[in-house]
Amino acid sequence: MSRLGAVVVAVLFGAAATSAADPTAKQLEARVRAIFKSHCLVCHSGTKAKGELTLSNRAGLVKGGESGRVISPGRPEQSSLFEHVGDGSMPPARDKRLAKADVETIRMWILRGAPFGKGGRLPTAVSQHDTYPILQLRCVVCHGGRVRNADLDLRTRESILKGGKSGPAAVAGRPGESLLLKKIHDGSMPPRRRVVEVSIKVIEPAETEKLVKWIAAGLPISAEPPSAVEVPLVNAEDRRFWAFQPPRAAALPRVNSTAGNGPIDAFLIRKLEQQGLSLSPAARRSILLRRAAFDVTGLPPTIEEIDAFLDDPDPLAWERQVDRLLASPHFGERWARFWLDLVGYSDSDGIQNADPIRRAAHRYRDYVIRSFNDDKPYDRFLTEQVAGDELADYRNAKVITQELEDNLVATGFLRFVPDATYANITGFVPDRLEVINAELEVLASTVLGLSLKCARCHSHKFDPLPQRDYYRLAAIFKGALDENDWLKPYGTSQFSSGAIGFRHMPVVSTARQKAVDEFNASLAEQAASAQLALKKRAAALRKKHIETRLAKLPEPLRADLRTMLATKAAGRNAIQKYLAEKFEATLSIDEAALKKIEPDYAKAVAATAKQTKELASQKKEQPFVRALWDRGSPSPTYVLRRGNYRTPGRKVEPGVPEVLSPAGFRLEIKPPWPGAKSTGRRLAFARWLVADEHPLTARIIVNRIWKHYFGRGIVATLDNFGKVGTRPSHPRLLDWLAVDLIGKQWRLKSIHRRILLSAAYRQSSTVTREHLRLDPENRLWSRMKLKRLDAESLRDGLLAVSGELDTRQFGTADPVTARADGLVTAVRGQRGWRRSIFLLQRRTQIATLLQNFDLPRMNPNCVDRPVSIVAPQALHLLNNKLVRELADRFAERVTREVGDGLEQQVVRVYRIGTGGRPGEEELVAATDVLRKLRNEWSLQIKDDPAAARRRALGNLCHAVMNSAAFIYLD
Amino acid sequence: MNDFPGSVAETSLHRMTRRGFFESTASGLGAAALASLLGQDLYGGSGLLAAETGQLAAPPDQTPKSTHFEPRASSVIHLFMNGGPSQMDLFDPKEELTRNHGKSYFDKIAGEVENPGAAGALMRCPFKFRRHGESGIDVSELLPHLAGQVDRISLVRSMYTTNLTHEPALFIAHCGRMTPGLPSLGSWVTYGLGSENRNLPAYIVLDDPAGLPVNGVQNWQAGYLPPVYQGTRFRSTGDPVLNLAREYKESDSVVKIERDLIGILDRIHRRRRNGQPRLQARIASYELAARMQMATTDALDLSQETQATQKRYGIGDKATDSYGRRCLIARRLVERGVRFVQLFINFQIWDNHTNIGTALPSACRKTDQPSAALLEDLDQRGLLDSTLVVWGGEFGRLPIAQLPGDKNVLKAGRDHNQNAMVTWLAGGGIKRGHIHGSTDEIGLKAADQKVSVHDWHATILQQLGLHHEELYYRRNGLKERLTSVFPARVINEILA
Repeated sequence: MSRLGAVVVAVLFGAAATSAADPTAKQLEARVRAIFKSHCLVCHSGTKAKGELTLSNRAGLVKGGESGRVISPGRPEQSSLFEHVGDGSMPPARDKRLAKADVETIRMWILRGAPFGKGGRLPTAVSQHDTYPILQLRCVVCHGGRVRNADLDLRTRESILKGGKSGPAAVAGRPGESLLLKKIHDGSMPPRRRVVEVSIKVIEPAETEKLVKWIAAGLPISAEPPSAVEVPLVNAEDRRFWAFQPPRAAALPRVNSTAGNGPIDAFLIRKLEQQGLSLSPAARRSILLRRAAFDVTGLPPTIEEIDAFLDDPDPLAWERQVDRLLASPHFGERWARFWLDLVGYSDSDGIQNADPIRRAAHRYRDYVIRSFNDDKPYDRFLTEQVAGDELADYRNAKVITQELEDNLVATGFLRFVPDATYANITGFVPDRLEVINAELEVLASTVLGLSLKCARCHSHKFDPLPQRDYYRLAAIFKGALDENDWLKPYGTSQFSSGAIGFRHMPVVSTARQKAVDEFNASLAEQAASAQLALKKRAAALRKKHIETRLAKLPEPLRADLRTMLATKAAGRNAIQKYLAEKFEATLSIDEAALKKIEPDYAKAVAATAKQTKELASQKKEQPFVRALWDRGSPSPTYVLRRGNYRTPGRKVEPGVPEVLSPAGFRLEIKPPWPGAKSTGRRLAFARWLVADEHPLTARIIVNRIWKHYFGRGIVATLDNFGKVGTRPSHPRLLDWLAVDLIGKQWRLKSIHRRILLSAAYRQSSTVTREHLRLDPENRLWSRMKLKRLDAESLRDGLLAVSGELDTRQFGTADPVTARADGLVTAVRGQRGWRRSIFLLQRRTQIATLLQNFDLPRMNPNCVDRPVSIVAPQALHLLNNKLVRELADRFAERVTREVGDGLEQQVVRVYRIGTGGRPGEEELVAATDVLRKLRNEWSLQIKDDPAAARRRALGNLCHAVMNSAAFIYLD
Repeated sequence: MNDFPGSVAETSLHRMTRRGFFESTASGLGAAALASLLGQDLYGGSGLLAAETGQLAAPPDQTPKSTHFEPRASSVIHLFMNGGPSQMDLFDPKEELTRNHGKSYFDKIAGEVENPGAAGALMRCPFKFRRHGESGIDVSELLPHLAGQVDRISLVRSMYTTNLTHEPALFIAHCGRMTPGLPSLGSWVTYGLGSENRNLPAYIVLDDPAGLPVNGVQNWQAGYLPPVYQGTRFRSTGDPVLNLAREYKESDSVVKIERDLIGILDRIHRRRRNGQPRLQARIASYELAARMQMATTDALDLSQETQATQKRYGIGDKATDSYGRRCLIARRLVERGVRFVQLFINFQIWDNHTNIGTALPSACRKTDQPSAALLEDLDQRGLLDSTLVVWGGEFGRLPIAQLPGDKNVLKAGRDHNQNAMVTWLAGGGIKRGHIHGSTDEIGLKAADQKVSVHDWHATILQQLGLHHEELYYRRNGLKERLTSVFPARVINEILA
């Protein structure tokens, strides 16, 4: 109950004690009917009852609303109806709120059992829905499907009555004789000293009371209404909102201008012409190529690439460049990053101070890069991520193909939120619900285009998203994310343990496994053969020395002595024992002695030990995938009133947001293949999500792609297409692109290509007076947006121009190191630094350079990065040692490429750094400054003019790396 | 400037960005620089985004902003006590606990104890309490200096939180919820109020040179707020701010030539690109970067303080030197108009699971004198009226003993407790010499006038003139707030 509610209750209880005249039950009912009529029935009656709540008849009062019963007869403080009118949250209109006296009337009425119509008091029916959630919460962790201590399963009526080792857990109608209640009453269950280790809490008296009632009533089971007959909460009018209608491709508009180059331009020019504008002229080729290279691959173009384009007379020259860029392996590295932002990708778990590394997370990153590079159809891409484990039977597959492995890796999609459930004490049901909520938020903001989190506690205030939609969606994922049956991120529990934790499986492609096994076997073999050689050498040496010693003994003894030495102590006869006693000490040579008399052997022993250790260190770890999978036995899902796990309401079945599906739609859920240990819920959801008729899936992704090229989405709120989101600036264009994508078999590169080839993308970013007058905020895209390089492009660009970029892809993330003062930097590899996407994304150690340029913190994800201009950015680029050193590498490269000429150097630095030649002004200024710098340095480095020139050029390079021409894309 | 001066378009663009920046460009760069400060987002942040995406959020910057109501305080000093100070051994004497010393209690609180295996019986406070000042507030003998300041503070004995593990509990204390990545209190405050000082960051963190607290730098993150509102770490020794000084050797003359070139190139670049205020903002950010060093060095220069003042803060004394320096710097920052100053202590000195008899006195020795000196000094300089000082940790401790491995009661400590914790507030319109709320008889749970972390946040915001429900940031279609959807109530009883 809210604080306000509590205050009201206190006040009213106080008032009740002093109230003089007690009305009769009849009078109370009449008054309540009048209150309902004047305040509530306008919404809560008839066929369109809001929140499924009908207050006009007895049946409606008994049934309650979407989140369950609203009246608990005799218990106003447990009745949400009383709570809502008491705290003023109902009726929603301020001027309709109930007077204090009316609230008190309702309280009295409920206290008296809420009499209404024939039958008087409302029934206080109790059913399995009152008790199953309690048993799930307090008992099932040890007495359920996965662990069944004392052979007792407390999940169903039948299993409770059947009982366990000590007999039935309950006797119908006899709470006093029910073992379950006895154990609870005497405090032995749940066991006090052990509750924390299974992350549960002690059962509460009110909960025990419900169990008593249910058992006393004979453990009644109420029939569950099939979800098909659930009252619809969303109507045709709700569905009429643009975003809930499937996209339809409109005819291309006619335009006057000939500047356009296809459908995108036609739609844009149409609106521009209405304002008396048109597209801007095309940008210069060098500008255009730099823009596209960064947009498509996140890296600057090389001088050779620029020259090739500048010199290409072919009318299809641009098309060729576009195709080259889209085919680049760097395309996936750039575009995967946007997806990782949405997913909330992180290489560590967060929350815990130790911030443990997720060792297999990088496989998901690599999967995304490969998928984008291979232009995997987006519908398949989503299906794998939502339900890859239900796409094919990986458990019984003879051969694990790369595809099977990818299916599982992809499900890491919903495994990236920060997670506090690593510890027993922070792994209780509410903590787990936080994790599930965060995952659903990732899902909703990434692919549903709606904000669902309001619906966790109440029906959405603006969008037609009833509370039950949240829980139906939670039920979809419950086979894998079940707060009553939880897989901790790692650590140990009574159920399972493992070095790598519980969310990994050793299912990797047979080829990869074989490679690892063979590699490890060859290591073992090398180690064994080295040991064997050593052993042989020792034996030979020993033999040699023993013979030398034997030679000093009388000849007749020697043969017997040899036999004695070759016989183990236990097997020796009397004579041998005698001989041993007398001679063994002088003859035998133990390891230490051997090493002493044979220094070379000692060296060989040490060398072999070192080699063995080295081999052991090369041993490859058993590969794992980090995944999310259906465990086959989800617990039932209840709407949680106000999102509170202690007040479960109505049971719901898995389903999709009602407004995103046609009226009467029902999700067909079945196990994905015969005999599957999987519910098939997520697969059904995925199929629905990527159906061509889905109103949002295609729109959302084309809108995101558009945003990354044009700086703003057609729908500016990338994650929210609902009523609180912004309306599309060009709805027909959005729909045309969405339909186009589906028609192209969901191949995203087709959209990229369309955009890149449009005149809109190729236009100049120059702002004119007309622009400022007619399209000041560039809502019509009358020119290209001037964009700052994002964090990764900036860092990768610095590395690229200085020749320090290591372009190797994939695999374990590159380490970062944190200095005592907090500066976090990437550790250089042997060939320089790899691209930022391959850098360890640890929540507690984000590379400072990236962070300064707006690399987001993931909570749980980032749907749209801010672009800031702050002084720490300038400080970092100016004062950081590493950036300065990169400038020197840049300078060395330029000297290598063009020699010592002043002007040649300036031009080269400019071309590499900014993609274009310096203008006359820049050339004069920079040449002049470079000359000055050379003079200055030659005063400081007197006898080495080459070094002075190099240092001076380093300064010029550093200046260009700091300049707007480098950091901004025209 | 060449941006079509005086044109209708310029006015329109100005309106679009809704920021003071553009006025500055009209009157020259110097003014632009003056209107800015370290960390200030000179142009966009998601404010630009908001402007361009049609969201209604105000654009972010750190110019002073109007408040929701008349503020009682203009600055905050947050003395964060990492680890969870033990309420019944410092500020909340419990006779009932003494009487029941040695009695078993575990079964009643199972599920609330992180380490059931080490749980012992009820344990009395091993230290003496005495009433102090005119207010007669009870303080443990471990805090002799703060005991002398009780007439300046409001003691809140009835606070509680909702998680009993350090990491999540720290996130709750600093950001309102147990997950990382959310904006911290200091970020919200600077987002809401901007800054009075134009050359220093608005939100400064003085962490312990000996090491970061639990959760590290995440304690002062801006989360989804624009990065401009993130706390800036100032180190009390050495180079105070990351990248503030050159990390490489180069003569000043060379550096000057290079810096000038950057300026020249950027101005040429900008002149060819009309109607792009971002570029002007960037130029200004480079100029500012150069000017921050002076202001920072000056603020951290403790040699400007008298010997007597330094001594009062415990500077020069081994136990108190480190925390004393930070407390004195905090005062100097507040004097300069810094909005939010947060002090951390190395790791968690208050986390006394064992040996409370020696570990707790040591934690007190480190912090008692400096915190007390800060209060007194602020008050004597007339700064306490406008400075809200808050003291407290992430949770409290249990009345039962936590036994070490060998079960030796003499070496016992106390385990974490989310249901009761103690905190105090002073200055900035807070009552002097007042006690708010109480715990139950043994100090296990907050009982009367309970104060949640959200209440505490709402109260701090209120004193700064901000209403916790009105201070929001639009994200994903929601109005995100520090207090989130949790009910929060200002602790009116402690307001003067």
